[in-house]
Amino acid sequence: MKIPIEFTLNGQKVRTEVEPNELLLNLLREKFGYTGPKYVCGIGECGACTVLLDGEPVLSCLTLAVDVDGHEVTTVEGLAKSRELTLVQKALIEEAGVQCGYCTPGFVIMIDKLLKENPNPTEEEIRDYIRGNLCRCTGYVNIVKAAMKAAEELRKGTTKVAEISKE
Amino acid sequence: MEEPKHIFIGKKTIRKDGIPKVTGTLKFSSDIYVPGMLVGRVFKSPYAFADVKRIDTSEAERMGAVVITPDDVPDKIFNPRLVSIFEVTYKDYRVLTKHPRYLGDAIAAVAAPTEEAAQRALEAIKVEFERVYEPILDPFEAMSPSAPLIHKRILKGDEWIDVKNNVGCTLEYSEGDVDKALKEADVVLERRFRTNRRYHMQLEPKTSVCIPHSDGSITIYSTTQTIHNTRILISQIFDIPMSKINVVKVPIGGSFGSSIQINPVVPISVALCLKARKPVKISMTREEDIYDHAAYQMHFKIRAGAKSDGTLIAGELENIMDIGAHQIQAYPLLGTALGWFVSLYKWKNIRYVGKAVYTNKVPTCAFRGYGAPQVSWAVETLIDEMAEELGIDPVEFRLKNYVGKGDIFWGQGPTVKSIIRSDGVPELLQRGKELIGWERRRPPSEKTGRYRRGIGVGRSFHTSGAGGPISGETIDYTGAILKLNEDGTIDYITALQDHGGGTLDAHVKIIAEELGVPPDLINLVWSDTQTTLYDVCTHASRGTYVGGGAAVQAARELKNKIFNYAIRVLNKAVNQDMLELGYDKELGQAVVYVRDNPQMRITLKDLATIAWQRNWGTISTTVTYRSKAAPPSFTVYFVEVEVDTYTGKVRPVKVIAGADIGTVINPDYAAGQLHGGFAQGWGMATLEDTIYDPRTGELTNKGFITDYKILTAPDMPKLDDFQVIFAHTYEPTGPHGAKGLGEAALNSVAGAVANAIYNAIGVRFYELPITPERILEALKKKGR
Ligand code: FES
Ligand code: FES
Repeated sequence: MKIPIEFTLNGQKVRTEVEPNELLLNLLREKFGYTGPKYVCGIGECGACTVLLDGEPVLSCLTLAVDVDGHEVTTVEGLAKSRELTLVQKALIEEAGVQCGYCTPGFVIMIDKLLKENPNPTEEEIRDYIRGNLCRCTGYVNIVKAAMKAAEELRKGTTKVAEISKE
Repeated sequence: MEEPKHIFIGKKTIRKDGIPKVTGTLKFSSDIYVPGMLVGRVFKSPYAFADVKRIDTSEAERMGAVVITPDDVPDKIFNPRLVSIFEVTYKDYRVLTKHPRYLGDAIAAVAAPTEEAAQRALEAIKVEFERVYEPILDPFEAMSPSAPLIHKRILKGDEWIDVKNNVGCTLEYSEGDVDKALKEADVVLERRFRTNRRYHMQLEPKTSVCIPHSDGSITIYSTTQTIHNTRILISQIFDIPMSKINVVKVPIGGSFGSSIQINPVVPISVALCLKARKPVKISMTREEDIYDHAAYQMHFKIRAGAKSDGTLIAGELENIMDIGAHQIQAYPLLGTALGWFVSLYKWKNIRYVGKAVYTNKVPTCAFRGYGAPQVSWAVETLIDEMAEELGIDPVEFRLKNYVGKGDIFWGQGPTVKSIIRSDGVPELLQRGKELIGWERRRPPSEKTGRYRRGIGVGRSFHTSGAGGPISGETIDYTGAILKLNEDGTIDYITALQDHGGGTLDAHVKIIAEELGVPPDLINLVWSDTQTTLYDVCTHASRGTYVGGGAAVQAARELKNKIFNYAIRVLNKAVNQDMLELGYDKELGQAVVYVRDNPQMRITLKDLATIAWQRNWGTISTTVTYRSKAAPPSFTVYFVEVEVDTYTGKVRPVKVIAGADIGTVINPDYAAGQLHGGFAQGWGMATLEDTIYDPRTGELTNKGFITDYKILTAPDMPKLDDFQVIFAHTYEPTGPHGAKGLGEAALNSVAGAVANAIYNAIGVRFYELPITPERILEALKKKGR
């Protein structure tokens, strides 16, 4: 038996019908084509499926689709407005915090959220905030660097940045 | 050789796939959804060692699923890895099997319109087993003459061979007289080592999508390090001409060697697709992925002898590899393990016995370093001990005996050798010592209290590809296509896969350097097998070295053709060899000009436009390239650790990661390899293992990553305490002096960590990982 739901997805009102046991992760990926959130473990261990639910990070592999009825969901695809990157996205590229990129959407969401809560985090605070996100490529070094750099930019008053310039 | 000045090489640039990756819009194979696609699920053996009697698919078929069993797939035995030449390829795999040899071997598969329908159909399949055997999980038990055979007969090339004592393949080698040398030695050490059975934990679980077309051809998207070998294997198994198979290159979400072989889901998805005549996608769950592959687990016995002046005179290695249920690259690995051993130190007299032994465990495959992390950990532990016995500083002892410039390096076992032409080891050892504060290092006996710190060093290397002066047992060549577009921009087309390390961006910088065309005007084409030349695989740290070599050659050929057109328009220029092509900073583009008369010039953009307008035709080039050497990239790690003697927990305090990679092309991504290499090496040294239930052959973590710990962000040293250094070397055979890095970045870590732990608490560990439990137990035995 399908259940009708209605919610805001990356700024747009959407309606759909879901199975009672359908996961938010699958709904986003299969029905709406937002494949930024990734399946890595499916049991809440890696953070790669992180999305924002009413502005709070949740693991979409552990969230039932029916539960977002009436709420607001933002995936990594919804963070960058039109052709603009967020400070975190820009810093991740510039600091080489992206290798294979499979973990990246989860880190983008978490660091973005961290900087909203605390624009002046220490290195320890950054590491602690992203401890639930696994990365097998970078050893987290350049991801932490990128977070520090984005925080610095934020404090300087840069809010959004233009599309990344060419070379 | 003089280091040339570079405009693009060595500079930080923005990686081409950066924006798609940070915005989550890049499509990995798991992100591919095709209209009308079926979801495939695989029936995996619930037993580690059994024979199937009957498979009942009627219920699953009644539910509308497409089902395949061993009777529906070609009766072909193959090896999923096609990097070695036929004669030395051992084969024991089938697409689906009636004789499962580990808990997870594929017996049947289903496809249905939704994941849920597929799962229900999968659960409706009934498999009756003829016999279920006790699993054989210990390689030494497996070798006992009374043990049942896991495989009775396997193919070597096209010839059947009988398996004896579960030994899948063997390699022996000797040089000089080890027994005599050991008798003459002043110090002899004999040690046994056992490495862990690590899991790659690449973030993207393996996926395959197969799409049929009305003309009988198919298109495949899959998690792979090699699109061309995927096409060849599918063609061989299913007897489909290669011209009717197209494998598309898709970004890969990490691999670390786990997709050098063609993954089992690929032929299964093809078989389902051919039967259903519909697109089929199979994405593994994480649990299935953990049951798919692991690192080779090695049991070593090493005997080594040295004279009292610190000269090594003998080295003997016995290598019993527990390969699990199938051979993927066991035989070539027996060769590389020997190669790493002889290339680490000048033993002078050498003896080696390597055996690859079948057990009823998850099949093992290459894992970043291809045996070098295991061999290096053992040798570096032993070398440290030997230095102590001899009363020589461990760094001095290494410098005295290591294999360096002018010596022979075995890039890929006994058949791939070349002379070492660049060697940054002395520089890395010297600078590393200074940066870590080697003089602070005190013997373990002087350490007391709850928290004890220790400093250790470990060195290793990895090859750059598997080329060489002669053609050996390993296939190693690649291809590149360059096309000058009508506006002077460039399309670069290659089959070579980038695992995320920035390999293809390195190629782009090399092309930019050669042609003066800035990297942002060079398009990296996402390609497929039908539009590229053969590339063997991105493995053996060959991406930058071999692929970069192809890029240099293609760019130089393109340049020649550009000059050919340029003399038609540059008034009075008659000799092509008087022309130059370079980057004009002010114009921000490439310019062709006459040497010694640079005012006589034309921009590449204008030249390309003229060539188009005057009907001269496209300037393009296609090269196939093989490298003639496989030089080692040396790495040296200095690590300081702190051991909590109450809990047994170890933490990294300070790391100096040194690498000799010749010319550094992507400085930021090269550093990134060392960061990630350290994290994986730390995991190997202290955390990671897969453990089996001795009765059932089931993994005790049941495939859940909850019980497979890898490092998280707080576990790493602070940014200021992690320093990367590069040696100032130039590799004459490399593209602009460059060598590889990916695997070298990991290979020396575990040795350095183990030696640091010894320096902290005075205990040597001969088994990995060095867990808190093992540390506490050892401290207890030692009386703290
Ligand atoms: S996929 Fe959701 S936490 Fe791993
Ligand atoms: S960049 Fe590959 S897992 Fe993080």
